[in-house]
Amino acid sequence: MSAVFEPIVGRYSSFDIDGKLCRVYFEEAGQGIPLVCLHTAGADNRQYRHMLNDPEITSRFRVLAFDMPWHGKSYPPEGYQETEYRLSTALYVETIMSFCAALELERPVVIGCSIGGRITLQLAHLHSDKFRALIGVEAADHQEPWYDTAWLHRGDVHGGEVCAALVSGLVAPQSPEVYRHETLWQYMQGGPGIFKGDLYFYRVDSDLRGKLTGIRTDLCPLYLLTGEYDFSCTPEDTERTAKSIPGARVTIMKECGHFPMSENPAVFRRYLMPVLNEIAG
Amino acid sequence: MTETWSGQGVELFQRFREAAGFFSRTRDANFDMLVQFADLATVVSVRAGQVRLIEQAQAPLLAYDFAVKGSAQAWQAFWLHMPAAGWHDIFALNKRKAFSIEGNLQPFMAHLQFIKDLLASPRARQA
Repeated sequence: MSAVFEPIVGRYSSFDIDGKLCRVYFEEAGQGIPLVCLHTAGADNRQYRHMLNDPEITSRFRVLAFDMPWHGKSYPPEGYQETEYRLSTALYVETIMSFCAALELERPVVIGCSIGGRITLQLAHLHSDKFRALIGVEAADHQEPWYDTAWLHRGDVHGGEVCAALVSGLVAPQSPEVYRHETLWQYMQGGPGIFKGDLYFYRVDSDLRGKLTGIRTDLCPLYLLTGEYDFSCTPEDTERTAKSIPGARVTIMKECGHFPMSENPAVFRRYLMPVLNEIAG
Repeated sequence: MTETWSGQGVELFQRFREAAGFFSRTRDANFDMLVQFADLATVVSVRAGQVRLIEQAQAPLLAYDFAVKGSAQAWQAFWLHMPAAGWHDIFALNKRKAFSIEGNLQPFMAHLQFIKDLLASPRARQA
């Protein structure tokens, strides 16, 4: 049997992020409007493989999904061994802006999930003029914690296993088994303390309640898509957030959890395609 | 959770024991877990990744590592073949205060997926 090749191309790029040279891995497919995809905390760009392989998307969008430094195939910056990884709001924005600038992407669309969803709100707040549209998946300005992140990085608990086991309940029960377990495998493969470091941004440094003023959805449309089974970023969290942003548009996705593009791509695209159709005009 | 759940507690316990009695995984898991169905407490003993014993807790001084407690309504909703949003995971139930998770959480977290699968095993049998 001959191999079946996917249209996805993976490349390494090197550019500065916050004054440090980073070797960043990204995958891309398609042509047209740049569509930059942001993975969830503690995971990597494999979450977007279905969008990268979807001809209805790639016929109009150049889909790009990068591994954040410290994640997937992107190394940490040189000297990482002397530091503790902690993602801040400022560093996250800088990372995305640096990627877009390094690849010379002109007014891209950004789609991000979970922490990637949260940061789309900050991008809308700071840089509406730099983006064509923003899509926050499982996005809210704040959400209530439901476990102590200290459990994610301890000597007496396997980090990969506990990360995956904790988030396993965020996958909707309707999601196909194969994609449920692919999604969990991404969490099992994260570097030590990286999920916890990402959640520093999520839990500590990015409470955006009351801070999302001045968002110009007339210049840069903001779409918020949240799964009904997400008890971390709940539909109520997203709807509350949208009320503070004039023009933000909310869709609650049936039979989806916290990782829609990865856990149930067929259901997710039913909600995503109308958004992308509107953006593409 | 009230005394009126007594009958339901027994039913839930029997259903759990039937489904989880032979639960095992290739895993070096050893712990005693108290599982409470409404007002009925049981202790599940796991040794070398196998459920060795599930029995009603009758001793006056119970010894166990950690506890997972839930109302009858919560267990029934959790074990539906396709549970509703917010009732589908032990942490979702804990967040909505329909479950409580207490005790020494080190073995609980170290074997978390094992424990989640074990507690959900009546659902799997129904599927």
